[in-house]
Amino acid sequence: MKILFLSLMLFALSFGGDATIEVVKKVDSLPSVAVEDSSISYDDTFRLKFFKSLVADLNVISLFNVDRHYRTTHFNDTSVVAENKGMNYVLRYKLFEDDSGVLNIETKLISDDKNVLIKNYKIKSKKVYMFLSHAIAYDINEFMGAPSVAWMKRKVIFSRVVSPRKSEIVIADYTLSYQHAIVKGGFNVFPKWANKQQSEFYYTSLDGTKPTLKHIDIRSGMGRTLLSSDGMIICSDVSDDNSKLLLTMAPSGQPDIYMYDVNSQRYKRVTTFSGIDVNAQFMNDNTIVFVSNRLGYPNIFSKNISTDEVEQMVYYGKSNSACSARGEYVVYKARETSSAFSSNTFNLHLISTKTDFIRRLTATGVNEFPRFSKDGDAILFIKNYKQQSALGIIRLNHNKNYLFPLKFGRIQSMDW
Amino acid sequence: MKSIILSSVVTALLVFSGCSSKEPIVDEKADTQTQEVKAVETETVSTENSTVAQNSTMNSDTSELAMANVERQLSSVYFDFDQFSVRDDMQNKVSTDAAVANGVGSAFTVKLEGNCDEWGSDEYNFALGLKRASAVKNALVAEGVASERITMVSYGESNPICADKSKECWSQNRRVDFKILP
Repeated sequence: MKILFLSLMLFALSFGGDATIEVVKKVDSLPSVAVEDSSISYDDTFRLKFFKSLVADLNVISLFNVDRHYRTTHFNDTSVVAENKGMNYVLRYKLFEDDSGVLNIETKLISDDKNVLIKNYKIKSKKVYMFLSHAIAYDINEFMGAPSVAWMKRKVIFSRVVSPRKSEIVIADYTLSYQHAIVKGGFNVFPKWANKQQSEFYYTSLDGTKPTLKHIDIRSGMGRTLLSSDGMIICSDVSDDNSKLLLTMAPSGQPDIYMYDVNSQRYKRVTTFSGIDVNAQFMNDNTIVFVSNRLGYPNIFSKNISTDEVEQMVYYGKSNSACSARGEYVVYKARETSSAFSSNTFNLHLISTKTDFIRRLTATGVNEFPRFSKDGDAILFIKNYKQQSALGIIRLNHNKNYLFPLKFGRIQSMDW
Repeated sequence: MKSIILSSVVTALLVFSGCSSKEPIVDEKADTQTQEVKAVETETVSTENSTVAQNSTMNSDTSELAMANVERQLSSVYFDFDQFSVRDDMQNKVSTDAAVANGVGSAFTVKLEGNCDEWGSDEYNFALGLKRASAVKNALVAEGVASERITMVSYGESNPICADKSKECWSQNRRVDFKILP
C-alpha cells in the first residue's frame, strides 16, 4: 500500500510542473475575500465601476473565492460588514478626489479583524482607474506570496479595423478597458512591442506603394522606417534582448521567414519553402516555431535557425494557423470544423516540447490571437461566440479562464 | 555603521524608483506611504507622410482618368475556400485582364491586391492573400504581361467588400483585385 501511495506521489510530482496537464483545484479550498467600499467622492456609477474592476482583478489572480456583493461601510470601522464576518479576507477601500482632481485610494486588507496589508495609491485621472485596480490586485498577490502576476501591469497593443483598409493602432491595459489610439488614420497593422519596457513598437504600414515595417518610440513620438517588401512584411517576434526580429517577408512574392538584426540592419532568410511560412516565434537562441502549409494545410513546425532541420510540432487538427511560444510551451489555434459554408469553431491548444500531451484550453466559438505573457504564466486571447467578442485570460497553472466583454470593432492583430 | 548602510540602501531604492515613470509604480518601502500610479503615457503619432509620394506622382487629371478607365475594365479573380490556385472558371477572366493590361493599360503598372475571408488567422491570412495575388501574377505573366509591371500586396481579411456572415459574402471576399498605378 505504501509503495502504491509512494508511486502515485512520484507520478503526481513528476507532472507537477507541466502546464499541459490540467490542474484541477477545488474552488472551495480557496480562501474567501469580500470587497467593501468606503468611498467619499464620485457618483454611484463610478464607484460601482471601480468595484467591478477590482472584483475582476481579484478573480484573475486566482487565489480567492471572490464575493461579488457590493457592500459599503466606513473606512475606519473596526469590524467588517455583518455579511462579511465569515470571510477569510476583506478588502476595504476609500476613493477620494483631492483638490487637483487626482484620484486617491486608501486600501486595507483585513483578516481576523486585523489589518494585514495597508496601501495607498493615487492616479492623475479617474478615467484611468483600472490601472489602480490592477496595482491593488498585483500587490495583494505579492502579499499572498503567489507567483508574480507582473503581466497584469503590462500593456496590450493591437490593431483595430475601423473600415475596409482603415485601421488604428491602440494601446490598452491587459483587460482592454483602457484604450488609447496611438496611430490613427491610414492602414496600419501587426503592431509588436519592440522592448520589454513597452516604450517602443514596430508595425506594418500598408499606405505606401509597398508594405513597410516602421518603428515608433512612444516617449519621443518619433517614427522611422526599417524595411519595405513587395507583397507583405510583418514583424512576428522580437528576441528577449530586442536585438533580433523574426519577420515574414515576400521580396519576390513568396512569403518566408527572415531574421533581421536590429544593430547591423541586415537580414537573412530562414525558411525557403515554396508555400506559406509565417508567424515565427523564438523558442530559444537557436530554435523557432512557425506556421507552414508544407503538408498541404497550415500546421505548427519548429526549425533550427542554423540548419535546415524542420520538425512537425503538432499531429492533431487539419488547420493550425496561428501560434505563440514561450520557453518549452506553444499555444496554437486549431480549426475544429472545416466548413466553407457555415461558422467554424476554433480552439486554442497547449503543447510542450518535452511531452506528448496536448491540453485544449477553450471549448466553444472562435478563439484567436493567443499571446503568452512574458513569464508564460498566462495567455491572452480573443473569443468570438454568438455575435459577442471578449478578451480572455487563461491562467495555466490555475486552470481558469476569465472573459472581459469587448465593445468595439474587429481586432486585426494583437501583442502583449 | 549598520544604520548608514541601511539608509544608503533606502536612498538608492528611492532614487531608482524615481526613474521609472511608464508603469504603475509600486511602493515596496512603507505600507502607509501613498504611491503614485501612472496610466500609460502615450502620444498620438501622426500617420507619416507616406501618401504624399503617391499623390505627387499623379501629376494630371488626364492620367488619373485614364487609370480609372483601365481599372474599370479589369475584373477581380475569385478563389475557393483556403485555396490559392486560380480556378478553371476564372481562367477566362485572367486572360481578359491580361489583354487589358497589355492593351489600354500597357503604359501603367498593375497592382494586385490579395484578400481573404474571415476564416483564417492574422499572419496566415496575409500570406494566403499574397499567394493568391502571386497565382494571378503568374497567370498574367504566362499571358504575356511583363512581370516588372506587376506589384503585389496582401490585405488579409482587412479589406472585405461584404461584411455579412454568409457563404456568398465570404466567397466575394476571397479575391484578388486589380489597381492601376502610374
